[in-house]
Amino acid sequence: MITITIDGKKISFERPVTILDAARAAGIHIPTLCHHDILKPYGGCRLCLVEVEKVPKLQTACSQYVSDGMVVRTETEKVVDARRAVLEFLLINHPLDCPHCDKAGECELQDLAAKYGPAMGRFAEGKRRYPENLEDPLIVRNRERCILCLRCVRMCDDVQGASALSVTGRGSKSYIEPFSGGAYDCEYCGNCLAVCPVGAITSRTHRHGFRPWLMEKEVETVCSYCGVGCSLVLQVRNNSVVRSVPRSGLGLNRGLLCSKGRFGYDCLNYGDRLDAPLMRRNGVLERVTWTEAINCIADRMKEIKRENGSDAIAGIVSGRCTNEDAYVFQKFFRGAIGTNNIDSVAGMAYGPAQRFFEKILVQGVTANPIQGISDSDGIFVIGGDPTAINPVLGLQVRSASKKGVPVIVVGHPGGLKRYSKRAFIMNSAAETVFLAALVDEIKRRRPLPGERPVLEEIINGFRPAPLEDASKMSGFGPNDLVDTAHALSNMSRPSIIIGRDIVQTDTGHMNLLFLAALTYLLNGRIYLLSELPNEQGVLDMGCQPDMLPSGRPLTVETFRKRCEETLGIIIPPAPGLSYAEMTEAAHEGRIKALYVMGEDMVLGLPDSNYVRGALRNIEFLVVQDRFFTETAKYADVVLPALSWAEKEGSYTNLERRIQLTRKAVEGESIEEWKVISEISKTFGLHMGYRSAADIFSEIARVSQIYRELTLEGIADGKSVWPYRGGPLRYDMHTEGTKLPDIVSVMEESGMSGVHVRREAHLFHSQNASRYSPALLSITPEPHLKIGDILADRLSVKDGDRVKVSTDAGSIVLSARRDPCLPDNVVLASTFDGGGIFEITKWRVNPITKAPASDVNGVVIDKEEAITVLHKDRADSLVGG
Amino acid sequence: MNSRESVLLKNADRPGPAGIDEYGEWGGYRSLHKALSMEPGQVLDEVKKSGLRGRGGAGFPTGMKWSFAVADPQTQKYLLCNADEGEPGTFKDRIIIEKNPHLLIEGMVISAYAVGAASGYIYLRGEYPKAKDILLRAIKEAYEKNYLGDSILGKGVVFHLHIHCGAGAYICGEETALIESLEGKRGQPRIKPPFPVNEGFSSKPTVVNNVETLANIPYILEIGGDEYAKIGSPECPGLKLFSVSGHVKRPGVYELPMGVTLREIIYTHCGGIRGDRKLKGVIPGGVSTPVLLPDTIDCPMDFFHLGKVGSMLGSGAVIVFDETVDMVKVCLRITKFFEHESCGKCTPCREGVSWLRAVLERMSNGSGRGGDKDLLTEVSNNIAGKTFCPLGENAAAAVQSFVNNFGDEFKEKIKSG
Repeated sequence: MITITIDGKKISFERPVTILDAARAAGIHIPTLCHHDILKPYGGCRLCLVEVEKVPKLQTACSQYVSDGMVVRTETEKVVDARRAVLEFLLINHPLDCPHCDKAGECELQDLAAKYGPAMGRFAEGKRRYPENLEDPLIVRNRERCILCLRCVRMCDDVQGASALSVTGRGSKSYIEPFSGGAYDCEYCGNCLAVCPVGAITSRTHRHGFRPWLMEKEVETVCSYCGVGCSLVLQVRNNSVVRSVPRSGLGLNRGLLCSKGRFGYDCLNYGDRLDAPLMRRNGVLERVTWTEAINCIADRMKEIKRENGSDAIAGIVSGRCTNEDAYVFQKFFRGAIGTNNIDSVAGMAYGPAQRFFEKILVQGVTANPIQGISDSDGIFVIGGDPTAINPVLGLQVRSASKKGVPVIVVGHPGGLKRYSKRAFIMNSAAETVFLAALVDEIKRRRPLPGERPVLEEIINGFRPAPLEDASKMSGFGPNDLVDTAHALSNMSRPSIIIGRDIVQTDTGHMNLLFLAALTYLLNGRIYLLSELPNEQGVLDMGCQPDMLPSGRPLTVETFRKRCEETLGIIIPPAPGLSYAEMTEAAHEGRIKALYVMGEDMVLGLPDSNYVRGALRNIEFLVVQDRFFTETAKYADVVLPALSWAEKEGSYTNLERRIQLTRKAVEGESIEEWKVISEISKTFGLHMGYRSAADIFSEIARVSQIYRELTLEGIADGKSVWPYRGGPLRYDMHTEGTKLPDIVSVMEESGMSGVHVRREAHLFHSQNASRYSPALLSITPEPHLKIGDILADRLSVKDGDRVKVSTDAGSIVLSARRDPCLPDNVVLASTFDGGGIFEITKWRVNPITKAPASDVNGVVIDKEEAITVLHKDRADSLVGG
Repeated sequence: MNSRESVLLKNADRPGPAGIDEYGEWGGYRSLHKALSMEPGQVLDEVKKSGLRGRGGAGFPTGMKWSFAVADPQTQKYLLCNADEGEPGTFKDRIIIEKNPHLLIEGMVISAYAVGAASGYIYLRGEYPKAKDILLRAIKEAYEKNYLGDSILGKGVVFHLHIHCGAGAYICGEETALIESLEGKRGQPRIKPPFPVNEGFSSKPTVVNNVETLANIPYILEIGGDEYAKIGSPECPGLKLFSVSGHVKRPGVYELPMGVTLREIIYTHCGGIRGDRKLKGVIPGGVSTPVLLPDTIDCPMDFFHLGKVGSMLGSGAVIVFDETVDMVKVCLRITKFFEHESCGKCTPCREGVSWLRAVLERMSNGSGRGGDKDLLTEVSNNIAGKTFCPLGENAAAAVQSFVNNFGDEFKEKIKSG
């Protein structure tokens, strides 16, 4: 026990803390500037100097640790003089342009000067003058205002791990600059501007747009870009979100955000938001009233139901819908339409993967706290770059790596390039063979735990490919494989991070089995990367063709009956079609009516031409969305939707934490659940909800796992799996699961040509980012990443236009050389029309039902003439 | 003292560096043989008994520093030689390296053995390209003779020695900034604790010693710690190199016992003031140490006594000013140096020293204002005691000493302006 005295107050601590933390615990305020709770002590600004008895010099409270018997004084004359001296020094060169500075009102230096500082300066020399740097589209740097606390540099280096910023020059000529010089070449997390205490780094997105003290309200909510579910605060003025900021100590992101969370809020204010229903009349979409639109939907759906049966109707929800919208949607389809044809984008990879792991291992096996990643003793990443897909989760991987935890990546390391011990990039079939070989090698090194006999029987009965063949196919030496297996075998509690591209491939079902085996052998914790904020939620809400709300199979009669009784509806006993199956059925004309809520199928599904064909075949297509999407172009009725900031609801993140999203601004539409309830009424199913909370309380009644949960109750963000109950017990049949004959993969794969794989882009996620001018200003269009050897062979330089073709079509992309890539794999992003999905041949894995997101045998040609991609879109952006 | 043969300055008056054979003829590397026949703890005890204190400026007891590193349970340790000699007026380490490089290498091998370091670096001032070539050659020779390598003298003792050249930053002479720089980072001092002896280079226990400190080690082993402790001042004994510059008849580097007076250095060894003019002031240990008036030159030159008269021994760089010198200009020149060398990490040093320079500059230009003398005092008082490392502290102390000792000259500047 350490007991110290601060300003006469005695206080004790179990462990040594800094004087600053000790003072805070004692309720004593010590001013600071370079100190930040997220960052390590720096001791540079010298503002927190305090007197420590028996120590002749003043000590910095931020860096000095307490020891037993220490006597600290924080308000002596000596301390007050020192504080005033430091503030005077800070102000001699700081421009007093507060009236013009965006930071005024929330500037730490301004506040400190008001409280402690000298009223007058004695500095008669001229201040340092430098022009403001406006070379970057999003971040403005002002060197004059910088007080060199280095919070930005420390944030970028130590926490974000992007290392994009540095101090240049020395002494009073020091200044902060990105390594790239003028504009930033970085991850645009903006965490540097969040920690800047003065107006030296500011956001251009709201430059001179408002004064912080004139904010009308601040709303704590959850980000809607990815499945991490970072907490953020939306600042509102004139019914418009003017800024999104993290709050230190709030949520699992602990004061950090990524580019999408920080800058992507501007899609809320995107000029071409839909604000009224549209209906197709004589081939043209026209504005109509809500009543007209709802009546039309009701009439056409009833007609189709009458003529073609309930199963000719299907519904797709987006992973961006709230739990409440998703729940009402499936209830409408099951109870009013009478079909189980409901699925979502989560049904393509996230859902099948989770279901498979739960079946083989245990329910809730993917519900692991993100913060636990940095505490694991090894990390295995496959199927996607966590720093791009779920950036704040990715920081956990970097943080672990900095502590010396080995990180092994199968696939392009992306933002983990400097943080991974090894990265193995190869084509998809080779990955399966590689995984099989790894499992086999680990099996020889680690005894089977004996906990799951069925799984062990599978693992024992599997015949791997010869190591030499596996290594030959993957392009890596046998020693690489053996060393990796050895490194993995040494981990006692690794994190296994899995992205969707390992599922969305021809051998996806095998990959899942190998990954389950790997997890079992290594006692791993699984993290499923989730590209949308509520993939987990829409699954849990029952937006699956064969699952009831809360994840029980509807084919089990007792479960179905109980659900029917609770809800007062009849649920069809046969499972419906998955997302991919619906698309195929639409293509074949078996689906006559499709209701798409929030999903842009054309851009979100592989093989855009195939999808367009399917949409054209649909007799009656309803699209409910915020924007006039590519899919909406084929719609018969388009309904405007509210964005996540315009309504109440909840999201369930990838660790299965249920979080509240609050309404920040009034939208120009009606909640999706309200619209669906109205349509449902015409079918005779009255839902009668008055609010999202009403819906949530019904969800809580439907399943044991949610019992006693309320929408208000989850507001603390602490509702984590398994919520109030234990996992649901029902028999998961593992019999019949067999490890495939890996040799056949090697024989049949035919992966000899160039293989295109999807690149999940850091600045984009599905379709929302297409409507964020800020995110588009960083990366406006998809590109092709190409390895040096292949690029040299084709004489392709950075920025050259290249034509990428397959049987399914061809696209022209701008090339980016990437030294990591081998000569048989290239990467293309999907975030806008013209991405990889334009050339991905429609292939659906019969077991996982996941459409493949990769394609083999592409031809790449250098385009000599410069072609403008998406001219319409470029024009519309300029216009908007 | 003249009776004693030079130890550190052996070979200083001859052209070129001493090669390994020549060094051997003078008994070189004999101390290493002796050390390796002892236990590391016994070597450490000899150094403790010698009373040797670090010659870089701070004067920390060398044996004590080593024993902290020895006590750290981590097995991988480093020995770093601070050869970033940058203090204005100091040119003593250079002469050791350029004339007698094996003395340093032998000192390093013995020290590394005592502290248990298997590898070491010489962090060499970037502006010493000649010293680099000489050291590289000497290190190669030492490897060939098995004084460096995987089994030194066939006794299984491992020590590998590397050279790293600085890039011209004075601050990298501060040991934690030196380590940052050696790790490839920006040279800025680190928060202490942890001290380098527990968490230094690559987060491993690291001993950083000055060239002159390490060059004393073979001699301590040769004559024994007790015998060495009899040289010079009882409070901080031993041999000391003094780099004397300024208005003396014979400037240069002098090897003298600790405790010799400034008067003896200036008037006996250096032959007095040039042109037999009057002494106006003297900086005893490099520009980081406060300037002294002529009435204090009988003070013994050691860490203990100079502190009593308000200055410091520093690196032992004596800078002598005669009566013709404009002390405001000297003060400005020194402040310009500190402004240029401030790393910018802490506010008082970064902003305050540049402010001091600006005030001194306008005084020097004849545009001083009333109250400028007080302003200099107040600004330097505001820096003093608040900086991250001694650089800013020393800059403030230098200005304070000039203003205090030569206040009339500062007043005169304002009047004449």
